[in-house]
This record gives sequence, structure tokens and C-alpha cells, in this order.
Amino acid sequence: MIKFEHFPEEKHLICRFSGRLDTLICMSISEEIQNKLQELKQGQSETNLIEEKIDFDMKDVTFISSSFIRICLITFKNSQKGNFAIINCDPFLKKIFKIAGLDDLLGVS
Amino acid sequence: MTEELLKKADELLEKALFAAAVFQQFDQEQTDRIVERVFKAGFNNRVKLAKMAYEETGIGMWQHKVLKNVIATQMVYDDIKNEKTVGVISHNEITGITEIAQPLGPIFAVTPVTNPTSTVLYKTLICLKTRNPILISAHRGALKSCTETVRICYEAALEAGAPDDCIQIIPAGSREFTQMIMSHPKIALILATGGTGLVKAAYSSGNPAIGVGPGNVPVFIDVSADIPFAITNIILSKTFDNGTICASEQSVIIENQIENTVIAEFEKQKCYFLTPEEIKKVERIAISPDSGTMNPLIVGQSATVIAKRAGIDIPENTRILIAKLEGVGKDYPLSVEVLAPILAFYSTKDYHEAIKLCIDLNYLGGIGHSVGIYANDEKRIMEFSQIMNAGRIVVNTPTSQGAVGGIYNLLPSSFTLGCGTGGKNITTENITARHLINIQRVCRRKPNDKFFAFDSSKYLDESLDVNTIINEYNKNH
Repeated sequence: MIKFEHFPEEKHLICRFSGRLDTLICMSISEEIQNKLQELKQGQSETNLIEEKIDFDMKDVTFISSSFIRICLITFKNSQKGNFAIINCDPFLKKIFKIAGLDDLLGVS
Repeated sequence: MTEELLKKADELLEKALFAAAVFQQFDQEQTDRIVERVFKAGFNNRVKLAKMAYEETGIGMWQHKVLKNVIATQMVYDDIKNEKTVGVISHNEITGITEIAQPLGPIFAVTPVTNPTSTVLYKTLICLKTRNPILISAHRGALKSCTETVRICYEAALEAGAPDDCIQIIPAGSREFTQMIMSHPKIALILATGGTGLVKAAYSSGNPAIGVGPGNVPVFIDVSADIPFAITNIILSKTFDNGTICASEQSVIIENQIENTVIAEFEKQKCYFLTPEEIKKVERIAISPDSGTMNPLIVGQSATVIAKRAGIDIPENTRILIAKLEGVGKDYPLSVEVLAPILAFYSTKDYHEAIKLCIDLNYLGGIGHSVGIYANDEKRIMEFSQIMNAGRIVVNTPTSQGAVGGIYNLLPSSFTLGCGTGGKNITTENITARHLINIQRVCRRKPNDKFFAFDSSKYLDESLDVNTIINEYNKNH
């Protein structure tokens, strides 16, 4: 359902999702994602100003729930502006984010 | 205060919008599974919800509210269960047009105190069938029973895999809050059933709306009618939930040649004809003198309760109070819509006078709604039907149960009855699932042979008149 690729030097985290991201699945992955984000933020100091970058890779996703949309929003709010993106959406998924009014905000591509 | 309300409205609408987005992913089978589960849950709770609604509102009869809940679940479900509402819904090889159904988005549903739980059940089913999240604003007098109805439907929907927040009820709030939601840019459609003020507010909101307001249903009993049958059906309808359906009969119109028979039959079937003095007393408690509209305190009360409040003595088992009136309009307060077992009664000198009176009554607050006729003369049925301005002309049938469909005819079962432009509506139809989808049409190339065979430069020649061009255009076809 979720695999992480972490590039510590660039403070870049890619979350690769797959399958159905329904409410139940989202309950279990939400904490996992937030923990990873904490890890990513660790080591950040005033002298180390590299901004973290987070991508949600949707290439293999077949369904998203409202809970997943909320995870996207929370992650966006916890990340530094402009450094969160939802990538590899198929057109259908893009439309879902469009209907939710979030495609621009969340940098859906 | 306004900012707080706006924030609350935004939160509700954001949830609804997410539900709308998620709903896009559901196919017909998944959608139908949700609808079936919600129908069953609503149906299984029909008695409990009816009793709750009755106890909370004090309107109508719980036994009849059960039947309303049955119409809103079993009949509505029967009507919509096989309808295609997702993806490709039709394809026509001849025209080359394929139709695709798309959901509308969040629907704001306002429900009345007279049919509270049934309207929630019905609107929820048609919204889910079309993959639209629904936000319900219940009348404050029926908030508890509507909240319970929503809880039951929402739990069933979630169990069947529906999106989170696909059904929400807005908390008790001010009129300002309701208006704020109505005009919120994220609302796709308002489905308003209620009084004139509410419907007007829906149409003034700036969002698309289907708003259905009051009726004022005249029923003509023709000389060709089976009179005892007609009276039995009128009573069955007018006493249904103590007259709270907006399609219930408001006045009976006859030719005076059958007056004695009709009056005798009404009396035989326990209806009471008020004296002129008693009419005045009933008017005082039934109609507000300022607005000239019905007093909400008598809505859905029984004939005996109304008589007691009016201070008149009537036989104990009286079913309907009947006021014989000489005219229509503000000088005859009981000629307007009264959602209680009170009927206006008119006896006219002939058929044409009767029909002219029906027109006046039809246009007195009930344009486009429903009318009724009892007759066994097809010519008169059709003449009456073409003269009246009504979405539903209900023939030899109780108008309450007839207009809502599903029991006495094959009209779509509905608790929101379109009244056409006369009622400021876009349709005269009974509102159902098919009104809650956007239909996209894929139009494949099917060239117009006549157009392409015609020398279109002739359109530029001013000396050619319409007949010449049309003859040439149709040549060899």
C-alpha cells in the first residue's frame, strides 16, 4: 500500500502508494507517513536550511477515499510551502482532486 | 458571528466536496449496493421513524407516516433501482449519440415539517443513486427525527462502502446559516421542499435550485362520476396524515344537479358540513388574517381537534370539515391551501361554471401543482386536463397518494412535485434520480445529407425567398 523512498541529503521523501486507499488503509498509513515526516524534519537546524520535499506518487493507486484526501491536506499543511506535490496521477485521479478543489493547492500532476 | 458561521459552512461543504470527489470513482454496481443497503435500513426503521416524527411534530398520524416512509423507501427504490445513473447510460446507433451520466456535486436538501423523515429518506436515496453527497437542513420542528433518519441512512451507506460524509445534516442553526449554505459556491443544487418563503430563498441564492412549494388542489366531480367511489377516495386522501400532503384535495367542485347526492354521500361517510357561522369560526383559527395563509398550528390536526379549537360541536367521528363557499379569494379564506382535513365545497349551475371555478382555485396559490377529476367521460377528462395548469391531473384517484406516485399509478414516487414555470419550477415532473445527474452527450459525426447536397451559397442570395430555398434544400429527398 505504501513504500517510502528517502533521500536524506536532499531531504526528499517519496511516498509511493498502490491499490485502494480506502478509509481503513488510510487509518493505518496516516501515522506511518507522519512519523516519516518527523524523521525528515529531524536534523533541520538554522544553519541547515535545505527545505524538505515530499512527493506522493500515485502511479499504482486505484481508489482514494476522503481520508486519503485529508492525509494529503495535513501533509501539505505540515510541509513547507511549495514543497509538497502529488505526482503520477492518471487523468481520472486528477479529476478527483479537481472536483475536491485541491489540484492547484496540492500541486497535482 | 457571521465569520464563525461562514467557517462552519466551509467545513461542511469541504467534507461534502471530498465526498463528491470520492463518489466519482464508484461504478453502477457499487452505487446500487449502497442504495439498496440504505433503502433496507430506512424501510426497517419505517415505524420507529414515523412514531418519532409524530411525537416530535404533533402533526398527522403515525400510522400514515409509516406509509409515507414506505413510499419514500420501497416505492422510490422500486422506481430507481434499475435506472442507469453512472457512466454510459444510453447509446443510439441511429443518431450516433451516447449519453454519459455525471453527478452534480453536493446537494443541499431542505425538508418540511409535514413529511420530515419520509422526505429525508427519499432525498437521500435519489442523491446516493446519482453519487451526489447530500446536506440536509431539517425543519427545526422535526430536527430530532430527521437526525435519527440521517444517522440510520449514513451508517448503512458507510457499511456498503459509501464515501465519508456522503450524508450530513446541518446542525440546528439560524435562517442566516441556512441562507449561507444555500448560496455557498460549493453547492451544486438546492432541492427545496417547503413553504413559499423557503422556495423563493432557494431560487434567490444564485445556485441552481429545484424548489417546490405549496399547492391548492381543486377536485372536480363530474356528473358522469361514480359518486360514492369519488367521495370515498377524496376522504381517503384528505384524511391521509390529516391532510399534510401538498397534493391533497383543497376544494370539491360539482354541478348543482348532483349536489344533494354528493352532500348525502359525504355525510354518510362521516364528513360534516359547517354552517355559515361555523365557517367563520373555523376561518378564524385556520387562516392567519394578516397573510391570508393557513395557520401552522392547525396543520395536520384532526377534524375533531380543529372543531374543538374553533369552539364548534360536531359528531365524534367526523373525518372532514366541509365549508360550502360562494367564491374564491381573500373574501373566502378557506378557499386557499389548508394542510388539514378541511375542504372547501362549491356547487355551480353547470359544467362550464364548474370548470371556470376550478381555474380560479388552481390559480389561487397552486399554479402548476396538482388537480383531480372524477369522471367516466373521457372527453371531459381530457378537456379538464387541457384547461388546468397542473403538473399532475389525477384521474379517479385520491390526489395525495396519486400525485406522489407508486401506489395508484406509475408516476415516479416522489416527495418533491415539480410545478412547472407556474410554480417557478423548471419542470412539472415528479423529482427523482434522473433530475440529479448531468447528462453529457457524445455526438459522433452523422452528416446532414440535405445540407451537404445543397448549394449553401444560395443562402447569400437575398433574391431567393424561403419557399425557393426550402424546395431546393429538400429536392430529391
